[in-house]
Formats: sequence, C-alpha cells, structure tokens
Amino acid sequence: MATSVPSTNAISLSSPVDIGRRIIALIPGLLLLTAVGFGGKVIEQSIASYTKARHITFPNIEYVLWAIVIGLLIANTVGIPRVFEAGVATYEFWLKAGIVLLGSRFLLGDVLHLGGISLLLVAIALTLSLTFMHLLGRIFKLKPKLTSLLAIGSAICGVSAIIAAKPAIDSDDEDASYAIAAILALGAISLFTFPLIGHSLHLSDKAYGLWAGLAVDNTAEATAAGALYSDAAGKVAVLAKTSRNALIGFVVLAYALYWASRGEARAIQNKAAFLWHKFPKFVLGFLLISLLATLSFFTKAQLTSLANLSRWAFLLTFAGVGLRTNLRELGKQGWRPFAVGAIGEVFIALLTLGLVYGADKYLHL
Amino acid sequence: MAEAKPPVRGLTLDGYAVLLALVLALLVRFNPIPAIKW
Repeated sequence: MATSVPSTNAISLSSPVDIGRRIIALIPGLLLLTAVGFGGKVIEQSIASYTKARHITFPNIEYVLWAIVIGLLIANTVGIPRVFEAGVATYEFWLKAGIVLLGSRFLLGDVLHLGGISLLLVAIALTLSLTFMHLLGRIFKLKPKLTSLLAIGSAICGVSAIIAAKPAIDSDDEDASYAIAAILALGAISLFTFPLIGHSLHLSDKAYGLWAGLAVDNTAEATAAGALYSDAAGKVAVLAKTSRNALIGFVVLAYALYWASRGEARAIQNKAAFLWHKFPKFVLGFLLISLLATLSFFTKAQLTSLANLSRWAFLLTFAGVGLRTNLRELGKQGWRPFAVGAIGEVFIALLTLGLVYGADKYLHL
Repeated sequence: MAEAKPPVRGLTLDGYAVLLALVLALLVRFNPIPAIKW
C-alpha cells in the first residue's frame, strides 16, 4: 500500500518553468495509466468478440476488473519505477474530474431524491460506525488519535478524510500511515467481495450501488466496486459516495474541536472557513453539471459525449487503483490497526446493507 | 495553540479537476471537439 502522507493537496505554481517541469514529470505515469486502462478495455472487448464468434456463453468481465488486475500485477511483481510515480498519483484527479462529468447523467431531481436518501443513511451509519470504531480502538488498545483516524477513514471517506483530519487533530505521520494502509488494504478486499455478495443477494442495481457508495471507504474503490456490478450501479455508487464525501468537513471539524478541547490539537477560530477548506469542491462541480443537464443546456448527443468522457476519466482511475496497491506493504503495518479496520468494515458493511434493505422497502429507491 | 492555516497559494486538486471538467463540458457544448466515443 502507498503509505506516505501527503502534507496538503494544494498545488502551488511558482513559475512557468516549474509548471512545465511538473507536467513533464507526469507524462510517463499518465502513459502507464492509459496503457493499463486501455489494456483492460481491449481484453474485455477481445473476450467478448471471441466468445460471441464461437457462440460460447461466458460472463462479461468488465474492463474495470482487468485494469485493476493488470495494475495489481505490475505493482506487485516488477513494481512501479520512480519515474512513473507522479503520473500514477494523478488517478485521484481523474476520479474527481470523472465524477463532475458524471453529473451530466443525473437530473437534479434524482440527485436530490437519491442523494437525500444517501445523506439520511450516511448520518445513521456515521453515528453508529464512529461509536463502534472507538469501542474497538479501546478493546484493541490503539492510540486514541490512531483510532480517530481509522474511525474517520472507515466511516466517512477513506484516505481523503484521513489526510484532511491528520493536521486538524495533530496526529503523528505514523498513525496516519497506519490508518491509510489499513483503509487501502480493506478497500482492495471490498473491490472483490462486494460484487460477489451483491450478486449472491440478488440486489438491484440501485440497492447495490447505494450499498457500495455507503460502505466502501475510498471514493476510487467505491466507484470501481459499483462499476464492477453494472454501469447503473456504478452511477448510484458515485452519487451515494459523493453525499458521504460532502460530510468530511463536518466530521473532521467535530474531531478537531474535540482534540482541541483536550489541548492536543490547534484551536479553530473560524469554523466556517475550516468547513469550506475541507469541503470537497468536486461535489459542487457535480451538482453544477447536473443542474446544467436538467436545464437542457446539453443535447442528447452531447450528454452521451460527457458520459463517455467520464468513462475515460474513470478508466485512468481504475488503472491507478491497481497500480498503487502494494500488497507486500500489508504485512509491515502491524495487525492491530488492520484488525480494528477489518472488524469495523464488516460492521459498517452489514449495517449499511441493513439500511439499504430498509430504504428499498420503505423509501422506494 | 495557533490556528491551523489553510494553504493560500495555488488551487486544490479538486479545484483543478472541476475546472478541467467544466472546460471539457463547454467544449462539448459548443462543438469545437468531435463527439467522444467509448
């Protein structure tokens, strides 16, 4: 797993030469992302045309899985040379651009309906998950701030939430690395288990997408877990995950205030500025594009183009998910944070599954 | 303790992603680029 802790996600551009140098440094990794993602697409199409030509019944395995598997194979055999690292790290940028573009596939009314249900379920799941994670942290005698990071990471939004919370609660780099490693490892496991569970329970696309969006921690993994089930499920998973992401600021603020009240974190004077700083801005972009689509700003053909652009952006993301997952790092992280994360994840998965069943029955998804 | 200051200079990753997506949406809307195929 990639366990380095980025200090900030702000990009400061000092001079044109500096900008040029940074862009050039991204090219090898971007080419690798494209090759892996496109390789996955080619494999999917080749298998489909081969089986069709020979009248063989074979389940369609989406490019998503192939791209992740190729990435995993490269990262865990030959490894990723340093020259590719900067470009590969852009997978999160493509994820966010893809989510904004995906807004074109939602009418604002759908966003408010499904997003509203998601927010309600997120609020319930969040309260119970955070309580449960803290209980687990005490049982396993984890450091309180490591428990806080694991709780934030698993209940809200994986790595982004941990990175947002780390400076706010003044936690150690080591704690954040442990929490990120555990969350990424568990995200990789859920990629393969969620679609299997969803199919065995015969969940509808909407119910499965909602479940994946509510339970899988990291946005990239939640998007991939949804897309592995079906295109429609992927769409709903992104919407549910986006609702969850929107709450990052509030949860991080609550933790920051708690640790500050104990004198173990910096005080926060301007809470509104803090919330705005932590708020994921791509959520606003997603809503804006959805609003434009609702107002018929785009023709049907243009909406198809935007949806396809979103797919291309996700293709790079899924390649990145595989490429940055280093399974060898798993063993180095110590078993206790991983155990707390894993037990917490199972709890959250079961809890959100129950909530989705309830919502499907009573709120008509 | 002192308040944690957010970085002032530079746009965030989210900001750039939104900017790129909006530029692409406008390019699609006003047709200077061909239809995007999958």
